[in-house]
Amino acid sequence: MEEDILTTLKILIIGESGVGKSSLLLRFTDDTFDPELAATIGVDFKVKTISVDGNKAKLAIWDTAGQERFRTLTPSYYRGAQGVILVYDVTRRDTFTRLDNWLNELETYCTRNDIVKMLVGNKIDKENREVDRNEGLKFARKHSMLFIEASAKTRDGVQCAFEELVEKIIQTPGLWESETNNRGVRLSNEDGGGRGGSCSGYCSVL
Amino acid sequence: MDPGQAAVSMQDESDGKAAAVVLGRALSEPDRFAYAGLCGICLSQLFPEKEQRSFCTKFVEDLVDWLDLSKSVLPAMVAFASGLGGEGTDTFTKLLLEDPALKSNPTVVTQDLVSFSLRDGFYDSRSRVLISHVSWLLRVPPGTLEICEESLMQSLKQHTEEPSESVQASRKKKESRKKLKRYLLIGLATVGGGTVIGLTGGLAAPLVAAGAATIIGSAGAAALASTAGIAIMASLFGAAGAGLTGYKMKKRVGAIEEFEFLPLTGGRQLHISIAITGWLSTGKYGSFVAPWQSLLHSSEQYCLAWESKYLMELGNTLDTLLNGLMNVVAQEALKFTILSGIVTALTWPASLITVASVIDNPWGVCLSRSAEVGKHLAHILLSRQQGRRPVTLIGFSLGARVIYFCLQELAQESGSEGIIEDVVLLGAPVEGDADRWEPLTRVVAGRIVNGYCRGDWLLSFVYRSSSAKLNVAGLQPVLLKDRRMVNMDLSSVVKGHLDYMKQMDTLLKAVGIKTKECRLGEQSGLLYQPPVIAAQQESKLVANDSVDTGPDSSWDWEPVTTGRDSHTVEQINCCSVKGCAGNETGQRCRNCANNNDCPFGELGGASQ
Repeated sequence: MEEDILTTLKILIIGESGVGKSSLLLRFTDDTFDPELAATIGVDFKVKTISVDGNKAKLAIWDTAGQERFRTLTPSYYRGAQGVILVYDVTRRDTFTRLDNWLNELETYCTRNDIVKMLVGNKIDKENREVDRNEGLKFARKHSMLFIEASAKTRDGVQCAFEELVEKIIQTPGLWESETNNRGVRLSNEDGGGRGGSCSGYCSVL
Repeated sequence: MDPGQAAVSMQDESDGKAAAVVLGRALSEPDRFAYAGLCGICLSQLFPEKEQRSFCTKFVEDLVDWLDLSKSVLPAMVAFASGLGGEGTDTFTKLLLEDPALKSNPTVVTQDLVSFSLRDGFYDSRSRVLISHVSWLLRVPPGTLEICEESLMQSLKQHTEEPSESVQASRKKKESRKKLKRYLLIGLATVGGGTVIGLTGGLAAPLVAAGAATIIGSAGAAALASTAGIAIMASLFGAAGAGLTGYKMKKRVGAIEEFEFLPLTGGRQLHISIAITGWLSTGKYGSFVAPWQSLLHSSEQYCLAWESKYLMELGNTLDTLLNGLMNVVAQEALKFTILSGIVTALTWPASLITVASVIDNPWGVCLSRSAEVGKHLAHILLSRQQGRRPVTLIGFSLGARVIYFCLQELAQESGSEGIIEDVVLLGAPVEGDADRWEPLTRVVAGRIVNGYCRGDWLLSFVYRSSSAKLNVAGLQPVLLKDRRMVNMDLSSVVKGHLDYMKQMDTLLKAVGIKTKECRLGEQSGLLYQPPVIAAQQESKLVANDSVDTGPDSSWDWEPVTTGRDSHTVEQINCCSVKGCAGNETGQRCRNCANNNDCPFGELGGASQ
């Protein structure tokens, strides 16, 4: 099992308090949903192995706390991350407008400039949407990020978000090879185009 | 006593120093998270080995509990402790140093970690290494850890002096069980007086850091000083109370004829040092304790007395060989030949070869005996005769060989991690292959110091016919890639093998082992001299002019004299004279760091 794993990737989830970062992660790793999930303290950590285009990647996912009081802790997690998932709540415009701050922080603390970023608009199952899909898409394009809308509650787009991110990381040369110390460089999947049809409706690689 | 009550009474005692009661409540949640995270990352850096994983995991799990953090942070903490993330310690350190409660006094973290580590009466050497590391990161002055340990011990003692009847009963039960176990384990140790000492956890109260407890928020101890306190103390110091000195061999164990612990300094401390002598010679160095007079790595130190008959024989042979049979010129020539590194091409002088049998026999005997003694020492340490606290081992020549075999034996046993803190091997006559040393890293938490001398022709000579001759640890560095391994070239101090004994004071300082002089230097350089202690000292000085009171009574233990050991240190306290220069025997004043600039000249001035 361990032999098959191509690489271990460090993924970071950031965003305002209450946008559903932990719920997204919980849905992705355990396929469960808890409407009463308590606020994260400091940071949460989960490991999951996923297979993208026949490559197995072990994801070490750090789910940061959104609350202001834990904000001082976050800088330490950015180091060495290959992918970051930036989450906002489509029913709360303020969480969308504050994305700029998060990008600034990412810019400041991130140790590599080719980090793969993915913007996730969460809670699309809710009625009272405040942020339009096109707005999100525009913002993502402007900052060259991947974009997807999702719902941790209904499972929509969650799996896809992570798969998409990992695929992009694996396709980015120099981002993860250095992390695998003993395995030779395997770049056999450069074409990587054959993506699952179920995803294509949501994802737009920019 | 109810723990809550204890805490309250402690607060009263310590004059509102409640800030440190339990750090878990004093710090904000993010800072507690940072504190636990910092410990986790440090653990993963210090102990990345697989065998240490369970310790690291348990440590952070318990720490999360201790700090009152939510269980939900556990996955992240365990990830930190297993080296995932690799964020480094900067952010957490910075954050902790900015905390209002810690800004002025990061010492509370050290204090809190000590309390935490001792909570169940088991002071793991790995915990101690971690605490030193974290303290260093938080820029806590060196030496604070020892003060914290001392103060905690003091306050635990206060609470354990009057155990309730039920506690006494349960203790007695435990003790008899322990006794039985002891008999079973070795079947030859004496337990005389064990019960009496056992009741106070073996604490014969020395005048240690008397004020310290009240100064750095001893209240942290209150959390521990419940009825559990006595059990903690007893566990830490060895429940039978008799401790190491109580261990006597009543009959031969295997091939060993003599094996006994002699106290070097009679203090009580949460970590101990055991010094092991390499050989005995007539005159000044006729006793096991003689080379260690300046050693003061901990206030509780022992010296291992082993096989004196054979070591004396070896010592005499060495003397004869170096002072009689071989002339000085030949020795110098040998030294330089070896220093030049062409050992293979070395032809030993005929004069040496003819007398080879003189040295080979006693050396060979001592080689095999030191290995046996080392193994025996390992089993004594494993059975925790010394209590559950970290041990530092220091030895030269064959004494270093004893340590090496002790560690090898420990490495083969399970559950032997967390006993040994540091080891110092000087001029060790053991093989120096990194492969052979690698297992030692499992049982040593702190440093493995190999002090060697390239020009040690004697060591080279006795190994001339052995297959290991090109790879003796006492002649060259051990090329082991591990943070613990520290190689030190002592060639500039050690001119020949006999110098290991003669230059011990200098050598100890060189390898970073604390000596009496260092202690005093530390004292004068202490950044936060506790005001109360200073005041006490002043009043003492005023009260009795004639009595020489060192500024630091905690490090002023009288050397212990034992019946069989006639060699004691002379009490030299010449500090009343400004600029004291030691005495004619070459021994320096115990209170002076150096001859010319007596650091306590001022004190002396005051008492004049």
